[in-house]
Amino acid sequence: MLRNRQLWVWWAGVLAALVLPLVNPNPYQIDVLATALLYGLLALGLNVIVGLTGVLHLGYAAFFAIGAYTYGLLNLHAGLPFWAGLIPAALVAGLAGVALGLPALRVRGDYLAIVTLGFGEIVRIAFTNLEQWTGGPNGLLGIAHPSCWVPGRGVVSFGVSSAPYYYLILLLTILVAGLCARLSRSRVGRAWIAIREDELAASCVGIPVLQLKLLAQGIGGSIAGLAGAIFASKQGTVTPDSFDFILSVMILAMVVLGGLGSIRGAIAGALILGTLPELLRGFEQYRMLLFGLAMILIMRIRPGGLFGAAHRLGRASSLMRQRTACPAPGG
Amino acid sequence: MRRRAALALVALLAAGCGRSQPVVKIGFVGPLTGDQAPVGQGMLNGAILAVEQAKAQGPILPGLEVELVALDDQRSPTQAVSAAKKLVADPDVVAVVGHLNSSCTMPASAVYHQAGMLQITPVSSNPQISRQGFETFYRTCATDDLQGPAAALFAVRELGARRVFILDDMTTYGRGLANEFKRKLKGLGAELLGHEGIPQGDKDFTPVLTKIKAYEPDLLYFAGMFPEGALLMKQRLRVGLTSRFMGGDGLYDASLITLATPEAAEGAYITTIGSDVRQIPTAQAFVRAYEARFGPIGAYSAYAYEAANIALWAVRTAGAKDRGAVLAAMKGLRDYPGIFGPQNFDVKGDSLIKVIGIFTVRDGRFEFVKTASWD
Amino acid sequence: MNSFELLLQQLANGLTLGAIYALIALGYTMVYGVVQLINFAHGEIFIAGAYAALTVILMLSGLALPWWAVLGLCTAGAVLGCGALGWGIERLAYRPIRRAPRLNAFITAIGMSFFLQNALMLIFGATDRQFPTLIPLVRWQLGGVTLTLIQLVIWAASGALMIGLQGLVMSTTLGKAMRATSQDLVACALLGIPVNRVIAITFMIGSMLAAVGGLLFGLYYNTINFHDGYLVGLKAFTAAVLGGIGNMPGAMVGGILLGLLEGLGAGYLSAQWKNVFAFAILVVLLLFKPRGLFGERVAERA
Repeated sequence: MLRNRQLWVWWAGVLAALVLPLVNPNPYQIDVLATALLYGLLALGLNVIVGLTGVLHLGYAAFFAIGAYTYGLLNLHAGLPFWAGLIPAALVAGLAGVALGLPALRVRGDYLAIVTLGFGEIVRIAFTNLEQWTGGPNGLLGIAHPSCWVPGRGVVSFGVSSAPYYYLILLLTILVAGLCARLSRSRVGRAWIAIREDELAASCVGIPVLQLKLLAQGIGGSIAGLAGAIFASKQGTVTPDSFDFILSVMILAMVVLGGLGSIRGAIAGALILGTLPELLRGFEQYRMLLFGLAMILIMRIRPGGLFGAAHRLGRASSLMRQRTACPAPGG
Repeated sequence: MRRRAALALVALLAAGCGRSQPVVKIGFVGPLTGDQAPVGQGMLNGAILAVEQAKAQGPILPGLEVELVALDDQRSPTQAVSAAKKLVADPDVVAVVGHLNSSCTMPASAVYHQAGMLQITPVSSNPQISRQGFETFYRTCATDDLQGPAAALFAVRELGARRVFILDDMTTYGRGLANEFKRKLKGLGAELLGHEGIPQGDKDFTPVLTKIKAYEPDLLYFAGMFPEGALLMKQRLRVGLTSRFMGGDGLYDASLITLATPEAAEGAYITTIGSDVRQIPTAQAFVRAYEARFGPIGAYSAYAYEAANIALWAVRTAGAKDRGAVLAAMKGLRDYPGIFGPQNFDVKGDSLIKVIGIFTVRDGRFEFVKTASWD
Repeated sequence: MNSFELLLQQLANGLTLGAIYALIALGYTMVYGVVQLINFAHGEIFIAGAYAALTVILMLSGLALPWWAVLGLCTAGAVLGCGALGWGIERLAYRPIRRAPRLNAFITAIGMSFFLQNALMLIFGATDRQFPTLIPLVRWQLGGVTLTLIQLVIWAASGALMIGLQGLVMSTTLGKAMRATSQDLVACALLGIPVNRVIAITFMIGSMLAAVGGLLFGLYYNTINFHDGYLVGLKAFTAAVLGGIGNMPGAMVGGILLGLLEGLGAGYLSAQWKNVFAFAILVVLLLFKPRGLFGERVAERA
C-alpha cells in the first residue's frame, strides 16, 4: 500500500531522527523525544489491538507495567542484563495479553473496554500491594541501566545520558513499525481486518477467529512489554504509580489522534501528545488545562485523526463507524 | 472555524517559549497539577518566598538577578526525570529544590548527580535515596526511620496503647512510615491488630472503619496525608470508633482540623519532623511573611523555604554561576542559621536536625506536647 | 455488635456510596443512550456541581437563613449551573464532531475532562475545601446498626430522582423523543423530531443529576477536591457499563451494586484490595452477562 513517495518520506524522517542528536545535543530535548518515541512504541502496540482488531482497550498500561516489573525483578534478583531481560519482559507481557484476550472472546465493545480497564487497575493495585515481591509503593530501586560495548572504551553503561536511549528506542520503534506494516499487509493482517469488519463472515470463510484475536492481543502485549523493560532500565526505578489509568488513556488518545489503524499516525500521535506537556511547561499550573484544550482542538480540526485510515477501510468496525449520520449539526 | 482553532493552537505553543537575560536560576520541581498539587503548590510558595526575599537583598551574584524556575512533575517519576533533564540542560540553573515524592526524587537524583548539580529535597524522606552516595544530594527533613519509631514509642509509653490498628495511604511516604512505626511497635509489646492501606483520593472509609471498630483497638495510627486523615477522623466518629487517633507529619496542616471539624480532631496526636514551625523563635519571621503573602502555611512550605534558602546561600557563597563552585560551597556549610535552628548535614546529605515533635489537637488548634526520641 | 449487625451496617455504608454512584451513572448512561458517547468529562461535571453548591452556600453564609432554605438554594444553584455547563460542553465540544467516529469523540471527552479538572483547580484552588454540614447530625441506633439523617436523605433523594427520571423518560413526549433518538437518530430527524434539542436536553438532565450527586457527595463527606470528579466518575462509568450501558434501571442497579461491592470488599476483605475485588467481580459478571446486567441481548450482527 505504501507508494514509493511515501516510502521516501519515511526514510527522510528516519534519517532526520538519526542525525538530530548530533545537530542538537541538548540532553533534555533528546530525552523528551526518547520518551515520546517510547510512547510511540506503546501506541504501535496498542494500534495492533485497537486499530487492527477493533478492541477498545483501556488497560494497556498494565502490559507496560508487567514488562517493566519483569525486567526489574529479573535484574535485581537474578542479575539478568538488560539485553537478555528484553525477551522475558516481552514474553510475560505477551502471555498476559493472551490471558486478557480470553474474556474478549465473550465480551464485546464497551463492555470489553470495562474488562480491560478493570484489568489495568487490578495489575496496578496488585503491584502496589504485593509488597514482599514488588517493593510496594516504593517500587523497585536500583535497576541496572543497559550497557554496550564501544570500540576503544570497552563496556559502557548508558547511565542517565539521553542519546543512547534515544537511539535504542528509535531503532526499536523503526523495527516494530516495519513489523507492523508487514504484518498488516500479510495474510494474518488481512484476516484481522476481516474479523474487525465482520466477525461472523470471517469465521464463515474459515478464518480462525479465536487464534487470531489472541495473537493480536499477544503481539500488542509483548510490544508494551519491550517498552516496559526499556522504561525500567532508563529510569532505574519502577513504581506502580507510573502505570495508572491515565497512561492507558493517553496511549489510546495517541492512536486515535494519529488515525486509528495507521502506523505513521500512531507515531505522529505519540510525538505530539508526548512532547506537548513539555512544550507547555512554561505555563506551570495552566499546563494540563491547555493540554486538554489542545486535545479538543485537534479532534475538532481533524475529526478523523491526523492520518485517518478509516476512509480507506470501507465499512468500518463499530469503533470507527460513524456514530450517526445526522443532518447538519450546525455550528 | 478550523483555521481559528489551528491559530489558537499555534499561539498557545509559541507562548510557551521563554526569553533570556543575565540571570542565575534556582530550579524547583514538585507536583503543581494533579492530585498532589495542593502540597506541591504549598512547597512552591515557600521557595517563591525565599527567592523574593533574596532578590530584595540585591543581586545574588555580581550583575546577576536570581530567578526561580518552577517545573511540574505531576508526582510521576517519568515526568520527574524529564523535568530534571530540562533543568540540567539549562546552563543558567545551578541548584534545584525538589522533588516532593521519594519515587520522583530517586530517579531524578541520578540526573542531577550526573550533571554535578546541587539538589536539596525538602521532604522526600525515604532513607534509601541518600544511601545512593550522591554528593549532589541533600535534604532538609528527617527520614522516615526516625519518625515512625518515635511515634510508636510515644504511643506505647506515654499514651499506653496496647491494641493498635495501622492504616496507610499506599504511597511511598505512607507505607514507608507505617512500616517503620510497625517495626518499632512490635518490639514494645503492643498488639498489632492489623495493617491495611487505603487508596489515596478515596472518600469513603466507613467500611474499613466499621471493620476496625470490631477489633476494639485503643489506638488507630494513620500514615498519610491530611485530606484522607481528616476524613478518617470524621468518619471514625460516624461509625462510633472511639479509639485514639494518631498520625504522621502528613497530617500536620491547618486544614486538617477545618476539614475534620474541631470536634472530630480533638485529642488526636500527630508527629512532625522538627518541632512546631510556628513555635520556633527562629522561624517567626518566616511564618509572618508567609502568612501575609500566601495565607495558611502548607504542610511542607517551611522545608521548601529552608531548602531554597540554603541553595541561595550556596550560590551566594560560591560567588560564581558555576555548578561545581555551588556544590563546593555547599560542602563547606556549617551551622547555617536556618528557620529550624543551626543546620548541618552528614556525609550522605541528610540534615542533622533530627527533631521529632509531638502535637495534639486541643480546642481546634495544634498544641505542642514535646519533642520525642526514637530509641 | 454481632456479625449480622456488622453486615447490615456494612450494607448501609455501601448503599450510601452506591446511591451517589447511581446518580452519576445515570448521566453516563443517558448520554450514551442518545449519542453512543462515553462522556468521560461527566465526573468533572459532578464535582463542578459540588463546587457550585459550595459557592452558593458561601454566598448565603452571611444571611442567617434556616438550613433547609440554604439547602434548597444551593441545590438550585448546582442544578442550574451544571445544566448550563452540560449544555455548553455539548454545544461547543461534542456537537461539532458528532459525525466523527465514536472513538474520536471519546478522545474529545477525555480532553474535556482534563480541561475541566484543571479549570476547577485554577478557579477553586488545589487544596481540599470544606463543605458545610447543612443537614443536622441526627443519628438513629437500630440494634447495633447506626443510621444518620444524611444517609436517609441520600437514599431518598436518589430514589426519588431515579423514579422521577424513569417517569420522565417513559411517559412524557420529551422522554419518547429521547427514546426514539436513541433508536435511530436519522429517522427521528427525518420525522421532524428536533434531535439537536433532544440531545442537548439529555446532556442537561444528565448534568443536573450529576449536580445533585455532587451536592450529596459534599454533604456526606464534607470535603471536596477538584480531583474527586475523576475518581468517582470512573467508578460511576464502570457502574453504568455493569448495568448495561444505555439502560437506565441498569445504571441505578450497577451503581448500588458497585457501592455495595466496594463496601463489603473493604469491610470484609481488605481496604487495599477492595478495588481489585470490585473489578474482579465485575469481570466475572460480564463473562456471564456480556451485555451487562440489564443490557438487551443483541444478535451477533447488529
